Amino acid sequence: MRRRNAITATLWYAVLAGIVVVMMAPVAWMISTAFKPELQILTTQIRWIPDPPTLEHFQTVLSRHAIWRWLVNSVVVATAATLLVLLLDSLAGYALARMEFFGRDALFAVILSMLFVPLQITVIPLFLIFANLGLVDTYAALILPVGANVTGVFLMRQFFLSIPGELEDAARVDGANDWQIWARVVLPLARPALLAVAIVTFLSAWNAFFWPLIATRSDAARPLAVGIAQFLTLRPGLAQTVQAYGPSMAAATIAALPPILFFFALQRHFIQGVSMTGLKG
Amino acid sequence: MRILAPAGFQARTAARKRIHWTPFLFLAPYLFLFVSLRLLPSLIGLTISFTNWSAVGVPQWVGLANYQALFIDPRFRDALTNTVIFTAMAVPALVGLGLAFALFLNQPHQGRGLGRVAVFTPYVIMPTVVGVLWTWILEKDFGLLNVLLGRQIPWLVSPSWAMLGLVLAAVWSMVGYNTVLFLAGLQDIPAELYEAARIDGAGAWRSFWSLTLPLLAPTAFLVLMLTIINTFQVFDLVYVMTSGGPGTSTLTMVQYVYTTAFQFFKFGYGSAVAMVMFVILVIVALIQTRAYRRGLESIY
Repeated sequence: MRRRNAITATLWYAVLAGIVVVMMAPVAWMISTAFKPELQILTTQIRWIPDPPTLEHFQTVLSRHAIWRWLVNSVVVATAATLLVLLLDSLAGYALARMEFFGRDALFAVILSMLFVPLQITVIPLFLIFANLGLVDTYAALILPVGANVTGVFLMRQFFLSIPGELEDAARVDGANDWQIWARVVLPLARPALLAVAIVTFLSAWNAFFWPLIATRSDAARPLAVGIAQFLTLRPGLAQTVQAYGPSMAAATIAALPPILFFFALQRHFIQGVSMTGLKG
Repeated sequence: MRILAPAGFQARTAARKRIHWTPFLFLAPYLFLFVSLRLLPSLIGLTISFTNWSAVGVPQWVGLANYQALFIDPRFRDALTNTVIFTAMAVPALVGLGLAFALFLNQPHQGRGLGRVAVFTPYVIMPTVVGVLWTWILEKDFGLLNVLLGRQIPWLVSPSWAMLGLVLAAVWSMVGYNTVLFLAGLQDIPAELYEAARIDGAGAWRSFWSLTLPLLAPTAFLVLMLTIINTFQVFDLVYVMTSGGPGTSTLTMVQYVYTTAFQFFKFGYGSAVAMVMFVILVIVALIQTRAYRRGLESIY
């Protein structure tokens, strides 16, 4: 029995190693290519460690593209969108969960139904709305539509439904009004739910592509996701791939590392947040 | 006590009076954005699809003309076919691998945390970066995959391989999401059930088939639904890796919406394409929900 266990354990670790290698190899290859001298990139020899490593591709990318600007835009937009969603959705979710008013359930049904409407349907009208307001190519155009999301409200409502009503009753007896109850009693309890909503909102705002591609025209508001996408389309002719991959991988590394490091630091919260929105959204 | 009781009563009646407008103040900021940037745009989108609106000129009501035109539009047919093919290839891989990874990583061995991190890492990389990265990995002469295979497969430059190339990149980048959802589902199954099954003499396989799979059905249903919805709307990877090419071999529905509406500025026609997508997704969701209910009835 013990020998059989040892064999299954060994097998298990062999498979684990295989999975880790396959999933991480592309990331390692990206970083490796980014630091490789030109001559070591276009070769059929596999070399994981650049020798000698070079920063030339990073210099090329940073001097030719507004990559820092895109990075700043992405950070500003994703942060602002996350804060907006946390505020609006915790207010709305609380009202939908804990207050009684006419038409509450119908309103919630209408909100939920929008989960099924693909974003592509709303994108054309959204563009017309923001064009009419003269807000194309601004942060507002990227941030405000995120505030209209459904999952955040849904998650916050589910969470507020789960906390015991006695706490609010006690606060009310002590003379607190609804706003004070929301701010001082309910929100502090909602930290796990708020964190989950924050992580998922930030990740989706950071990765968003379709709408930002349409809503931005210049580097002023262009986020990283859109800027990076133009790398390959901008390259001089498909045939001249010779010069493209080093700088492309340097840019990809700059864009990929912050979320990867962020994820490593907060893994448990990340995974919990994502599984929460998936299972209950 | 004598003082407290009336005070509490007063507070409660006061709350009852305020109840008519306080909820709406809580809801107002969200509802303002929701209505103006989600609900109305959806309805406007539906309306536009019945017009010939373009960037210039006054839009005219054309009834179902856009939808009729879709029927005989060969590019639309390609987009629809390609999207279905992409979904049909990516969904089984994403759901199957996601389940396999989750079952594997649910085994009580040290180091499964490392596996979970490795599987989920690609998911936190933005899809456009994944596209740029995989364009390099799938390069014909010097790409990592071809070098490892010792072949020169024209992944993204040949119409017959391009779709498979996209699927590879998509599966790599999204499988971690499904794995995490399946793992959460597995961890919701109470350990006592396995204990009871073991006492009743059930082996590992028996408890897998009779316990794990049926109890995982709700999760599997959800994962399947989410994966279909996500893959059906694939855009970022296509935009970066192939732009729908070569020819129209990887042109997808969302890519077609984008080109018609924002490169040729045919807002009416583009909206009609988007509406068709919406209808297909709703039908798929309805069929799945029915099949799921029937499946549940047959299990219990």
